[in-house]
Amino acid sequence: MSTTVDFTELSAKHTGEASKRRLRARYWAEMRLKAYGIIAIAIAAAALLLLLSTVVTKTAGVIYEKYITLEATIEVSDRDRERLADQNPRMRANLRRVVQGAIATAIPGEIGRRESRQATSIVSGDAGLFLGDRVKADLNLIGQTVPFDALLDDNMQLYLKGVVGRPEEIESAGTLSISVPDEDGFVTASFDPSDLGPIFEAIREQRANDAERARAEQRRQQNAVDVTERQLLEAETDEERAELQSRLDSFVFARDRAETNADELMRLATVIGEGARYTLAETDPSLLMRAGPGWLKFTEVERGEAKGLIYLPLSDTAPVGTEFAEGEWQAFMMERPEATRLQTDRQVVWMENFEDRGLIKEVLNTRILSSSDSASAELAGIWGAVVGSFWTMIVTFLLAFPLGVMASIYLEEFAPKNRVTDLIEVNINNLAAVPSIVFGLLGLAIFVSGVPVNILGYEFTIGGFLPRSSPLAGGAVLALMTLPTIIIAGRASIRAVPSSIRDAALGLGASKLQTATHHVLPLAMPGILTGSIIGMAQALGETAPLLLVGMNSFIQEPPSDPLSPGNVLPTLIYQWNSNSERLFDDKTAAAISILLIFLVLMNALAVLLRKRFERRW
Amino acid sequence: MTETANIRAEIGEDQRGVPSGEPAVGVAESEAPTTAGEIKIRCKGVDVFYGEAQAIKDVTIDIEDKAVTAFIGPSGCGKSTFLRCLNRMNDTIDICRVTGEITLDGGDIYDDDVDPVQLRARVGMVFQKPNPFPKSIYENVAYGPKIHGLASTKAELDCIVEQSLKRAALWGEVKDRLDAPGTGLSGGQQQRLCIARAIATAPEVLLMDEPCSALDPIATAQVEELIDELRRSYSLVIVTHSMQQAARVSQKTAFFHLGLMLEYDDTVKIFTAPSHEKTQQYITGRFG
Repeated sequence: MSTTVDFTELSAKHTGEASKRRLRARYWAEMRLKAYGIIAIAIAAAALLLLLSTVVTKTAGVIYEKYITLEATIEVSDRDRERLADQNPRMRANLRRVVQGAIATAIPGEIGRRESRQATSIVSGDAGLFLGDRVKADLNLIGQTVPFDALLDDNMQLYLKGVVGRPEEIESAGTLSISVPDEDGFVTASFDPSDLGPIFEAIREQRANDAERARAEQRRQQNAVDVTERQLLEAETDEERAELQSRLDSFVFARDRAETNADELMRLATVIGEGARYTLAETDPSLLMRAGPGWLKFTEVERGEAKGLIYLPLSDTAPVGTEFAEGEWQAFMMERPEATRLQTDRQVVWMENFEDRGLIKEVLNTRILSSSDSASAELAGIWGAVVGSFWTMIVTFLLAFPLGVMASIYLEEFAPKNRVTDLIEVNINNLAAVPSIVFGLLGLAIFVSGVPVNILGYEFTIGGFLPRSSPLAGGAVLALMTLPTIIIAGRASIRAVPSSIRDAALGLGASKLQTATHHVLPLAMPGILTGSIIGMAQALGETAPLLLVGMNSFIQEPPSDPLSPGNVLPTLIYQWNSNSERLFDDKTAAAISILLIFLVLMNALAVLLRKRFERRW
Repeated sequence: MTETANIRAEIGEDQRGVPSGEPAVGVAESEAPTTAGEIKIRCKGVDVFYGEAQAIKDVTIDIEDKAVTAFIGPSGCGKSTFLRCLNRMNDTIDICRVTGEITLDGGDIYDDDVDPVQLRARVGMVFQKPNPFPKSIYENVAYGPKIHGLASTKAELDCIVEQSLKRAALWGEVKDRLDAPGTGLSGGQQQRLCIARAIATAPEVLLMDEPCSALDPIATAQVEELIDELRRSYSLVIVTHSMQQAARVSQKTAFFHLGLMLEYDDTVKIFTAPSHEKTQQYITGRFG
């Protein structure tokens, strides 16, 4: 043995300086760990908050939808009259022309042939159908002039929400005088030379930016020229030289063009507003002017003068040599160029006019809940996907729940404990971790496409009995995916039933089956249900496997049964998100919100079940 | 001599103790009809294996009708395992294997044509921890008769439930709240409920696996009283850790040690003049 230890000496170490140091270090380590934890939680919370706030703010954009109140004179063709009189509600009349006429009436002044398309497209493509439905409900309206609200096109709604910006007022102090239009309809507006400063600055800035870009292009081409020249010097054969020479020529050409371009743009940038007249292109900010009740748009501008078109009449009488005193007119700049937005300047002017006249109306958007998918963003809704999700979930539950419960009760209560059941257990646990897309592939092969088999010359197909895109196929795939979750949850809650209950029942002479069904299963059921609901919630949010069985088709009708084609909420979100229309962005967020609400409700139900039936043994 | 005297003194403290020297008939015996001696269960050369390990080695024992037989012995000696052989509860354990012969009224209970479910209706069991079903008191007692078809009408079932609860000395305490959950009763009441539940299936033999080990002394006394009462109608086998309890309630006692049954005799004999050295050491508290 080693030398003896003096424990009194050891005890003294508890109060020494070294022990205090050790204690401080321990506290410090604890503090550090706590700080790391708090930081981690804060980051997670911030990420969640960011996600939720993005979704909520975007959703807020579609809570209301915008209508325009029009006066329509209901005149219908014979064909439409027939459709209107038909009792079948699926026979719908599209009173497109009536709506077009109503819009033309709403817009002050004449609208030319070329503008009529723009006028028609301010309302939704289905506005005529909606009016038709209303007339169908009340045939007495035919021949009358009635006010009606037409749903605005998505681009107009976005414009009114200010997504592409609204015309900004720029300084305009003096008097404005407008000349008589020439034969092409152009007028010249004269104003104080100090007015409209910002438009010049904006254009100048844009030109300078363009010039900078042209310079960059020039530098790039110069680089290519340098490299090719060097290669040319090192070239050995004539053939090579000839090829390099031709490439060099093209680079030089491109460089020179870029240089000229940049020089011209720089020149323009410096002369704008300095006497020279500048032609406003479609890629420039738009210059608009409101004078009295009318609107003008200018295509050429210089200090004190601008040339443009009358978009809306300046007065009730002909606009001959009209003068507007200070305050009677305003100049506006629409910073976003016409070419980069889906609303023409004419439509912008119309919308401003409608809004001034109080014709625009905001209504709570129930359409997004009640209508199904549509190609037009303003018409699209989630109802079809909700119905599809509902059918899919029903199928999933009906397949996965009984199978899962039976499998878990067999494995827990009846199966002998041997290598085979161990193997099954391990595999079920592994199945729960299999990526869902694999289940999608499996489902596609077995349920939808079928697997061609050739045995000894006999050719046949295994599976392939479910229609593509149907909630039945989707539900079957999701059932495959949910099954392991339910089995694992089921086995855990069956195992949680104390064996004393089994002993009690068996001791009374109950059979194994009676013990399982009378005692074990009822006691395990809340746990199994909780697990199943969580599995179903997971399935409700699943996208990838459903894409594979074709549940991302464009379907405008909610599926009437599990066999008809449909899509589900997550695949609808996926489809909408890849749509280019801007309004679909907001609708995607709205659909996500609704999906989240469903998921939260399901999880709340699971928590409630667990709390309500929680039992301590 | 001194040791024996000590044991006598110990037993003498108990009111129901038996004066030494007298045959294996206690005070209770005089009240009960003397059918003791008729053999209910015969076990011959019983071996029990858990996988490779042998838990019970060659046990031969005859259990009398209308008497209480106590199994005593240190922990892990196999007395509970052996008890569970008597109604084939060991069948529920996969790796458990029983050999030898056990007969109930002359019929081999491990015979192929004996259904363990049917057997357990005849040989009831009460467990160490009170384990009422998480259902109402009524449902607890009525469950056995229901699954065995003992009652054809609701009135008959009510009658069975009432009788069983009365025999388990629980009726007075619960008759007003038969719909209350059985799990809401106190520990002693729960155990008597379990006994009532076992009685309700009209068994012939009642096995009790340490029925009082989870109970306080008052509840223990009540259950012991009940056991003594039940002896009139059933053959009872009780596993206990408490030697006082064995002495108080049983007429016959078997001492188990390391899977072997070392001694089986009248309770009085075991506690006063054990023939085996190990028994003597155990009952005097030298080990166990």
